Amino acid sequence: MDRRTFVKGTAAAVGASTLPAGRAFAQAAAPDKIRFGYAITQSGPLGPGADSTTISQYKLWQKRVNDGGGIMLKKFNKKVPVDFVSYDDQGKPDELLKLTERLIQQDKVDMMLAPYATHMNLAAAPIVTKHEYPVIMTTATTAKTYELGPKWPYAFWNISQPNESAHPLSHALGQLKKDGKVNGRVAVVHVALEFGVEMHAAFVEQAKKDGLEVVLSKSYPLGAADLQPLIREAMAAKPDALVCMSYPPDTFMLTEQCQIVGFNPKLMYVAIGGVFPGMKDKFGAKVNGILVYGGVDPNAPGMAEYNKAHQAMFNRPSEAGAINVYGALQVTQQAIEKVGEIDRKKIRDVIAADTFPTLWGDLKYVSQRNASPWCVGQWQNGEIVGVYPADKSGAKPLLFPKPAWS
Amino acid sequence: MFEVLLGGLILGGMYGLIALGLNLQYGVSRILNLAYGEFLIGGAFIAFFAVMSRWQLNPLLSLFASVPIAFVLNWLIYRLLMVPLVRRAPDQDALDADVVLATFGLFFVLQGLALVNWSGDLRGYSFLAEGRNVFGAVVALNRLLAFLGACVLALALFLILRHTRVGAALRAITIDPVAAELMGVDVRKFSAIAFAAGGALAATAGMLVSTFNSFSATSGGDYTLKALIVVIMAGVGRVTGTLAAGLLLGVVEQMGGYLLDPGLTLAINFGLFTLILLLRPTGLFTRA
Repeated sequence: MDRRTFVKGTAAAVGASTLPAGRAFAQAAAPDKIRFGYAITQSGPLGPGADSTTISQYKLWQKRVNDGGGIMLKKFNKKVPVDFVSYDDQGKPDELLKLTERLIQQDKVDMMLAPYATHMNLAAAPIVTKHEYPVIMTTATTAKTYELGPKWPYAFWNISQPNESAHPLSHALGQLKKDGKVNGRVAVVHVALEFGVEMHAAFVEQAKKDGLEVVLSKSYPLGAADLQPLIREAMAAKPDALVCMSYPPDTFMLTEQCQIVGFNPKLMYVAIGGVFPGMKDKFGAKVNGILVYGGVDPNAPGMAEYNKAHQAMFNRPSEAGAINVYGALQVTQQAIEKVGEIDRKKIRDVIAADTFPTLWGDLKYVSQRNASPWCVGQWQNGEIVGVYPADKSGAKPLLFPKPAWS
Repeated sequence: MFEVLLGGLILGGMYGLIALGLNLQYGVSRILNLAYGEFLIGGAFIAFFAVMSRWQLNPLLSLFASVPIAFVLNWLIYRLLMVPLVRRAPDQDALDADVVLATFGLFFVLQGLALVNWSGDLRGYSFLAEGRNVFGAVVALNRLLAFLGACVLALALFLILRHTRVGAALRAITIDPVAAELMGVDVRKFSAIAFAAGGALAATAGMLVSTFNSFSATSGGDYTLKALIVVIMAGVGRVTGTLAAGLLLGVVEQMGGYLLDPGLTLAINFGLFTLILLLRPTGLFTRA
């Protein structure tokens, strides 16, 4: 036995038996920070959305974790602060790929965080899998995850995918029809983008199975200047429900123009943008009853402290769509703490297997997809609540029928 | 059907409205201002903040702030940024190239400032968001207001150009700046005024459009593009033609969307644009 082995062995033995000596040993070996890398869109049309939904959450999480001393690494018995290395991918997938390679190979970051928007998350998934970096994708909704998701074991999908988002609406209408509260007539319109097309297809297919009658099914282009003729057509078909697989600008326009022509369906759904604080700024109490993509439990444990910290850091309230991002960061942190060191394979396996309490509810992944994300939310009393899945903790009953506009 | 037609006219009025100022800037000052939409969005933001302020002002009142601000800023932009370019340019083609680059840069600077100050959130407010029955068709009052605004502004501009001394000078510059200068018109001064007035019109259009369209710090570019299409369709320097081209575009878009498919509205728009470019490359309302 040479001297070095002897010292190591003794130190380990002492470290295991007595805490102070253990701490001295740990300080010698523990990393002084955990470096998280991310490439995300900071400039261009998607920059603002990336900032309010994602980057702000990364910064807030970092601050709150570091204020508490950092992430606990059991192996070293030490809390280690979070450090970021980040780049602007300018909204270009090829740029994202280059920067991701750079972060992993050149900057040698310990962990990676997700980029912003569906196509960027899809672009990142194979590359982080190749390098075996576990990443929870927080802003991707696409039917491709059903087929491609299992091929990328290191990518996790946090938010509700098209089927999960659209089916509960159809089920709810089907149930209302069975209860004799509606005739089961539904008008569906969608923005002519991949998201709109997939959501539309998922809904229409399920609607037939649930015994609903799709009385209007039409698309419109992104950036449409006037949707009143489309709304008129929907109105003329006398539907019980208006389902709009929409994007932010048209979400606002559809909501306003329904009011103008006095079209007040018993159930109204708008997709992306429905949770924006701007909806309430613009429409006030008229938002109540509108169903939206995604959801949140405003009374979840920790939410009050989170809201306070968000307001203090950014001087504005958080948007409901950002909570899942914060939840994903909490999952990552808990998984690292369970493993107790930066062993990405083990961290990946823990994320894949365990259940994690977060602001966005208890998160569990099955085949790397969130087993029960918030799918459908609703404006109730001026705030976004989660409605479906109805059995989720914190879910509120559906407000039906939607109150009249005026 | 009637409602669709009326909706198309009103939408077309909006198209004309957003293009009026650009046509003044391009037609008289010969500056193709790619940062035009930023002033439109500026007007929208000022209206938004007026409505959301503690006093919950009527958005129309915001014009008292946004119009002078836009006028002065655009005047300064012309005097400080554009005049050196105009001076050194040997001909209109060279000037166009320089101006496009310069105003494109300005567009990024202004948009960046807007993003930093106002973030990228989608904004909107409700003003006159109610329907009125017009001969059996429902019309949104806020859109109707923008339509009327377009008509009033186009008419006022037309009368000024036709019947005042300033108007005569501006028309002279539009037709031939060199000859106008020889006839004793102070081309720099009147070009600056026209450019500034164009900016003020942009801010007014932005306020009117913001009553029904939601917007963010990054929406300016879309409006510049739409305005540009209308200006090129109408013919550079044609004021009433701008309104007419806007109306045509609106009606064709709405009727096409109604008769064929709403998903085709953009295709119809650009189809019409291409057709006009092919048949009348100098614009619908220019004299040969």
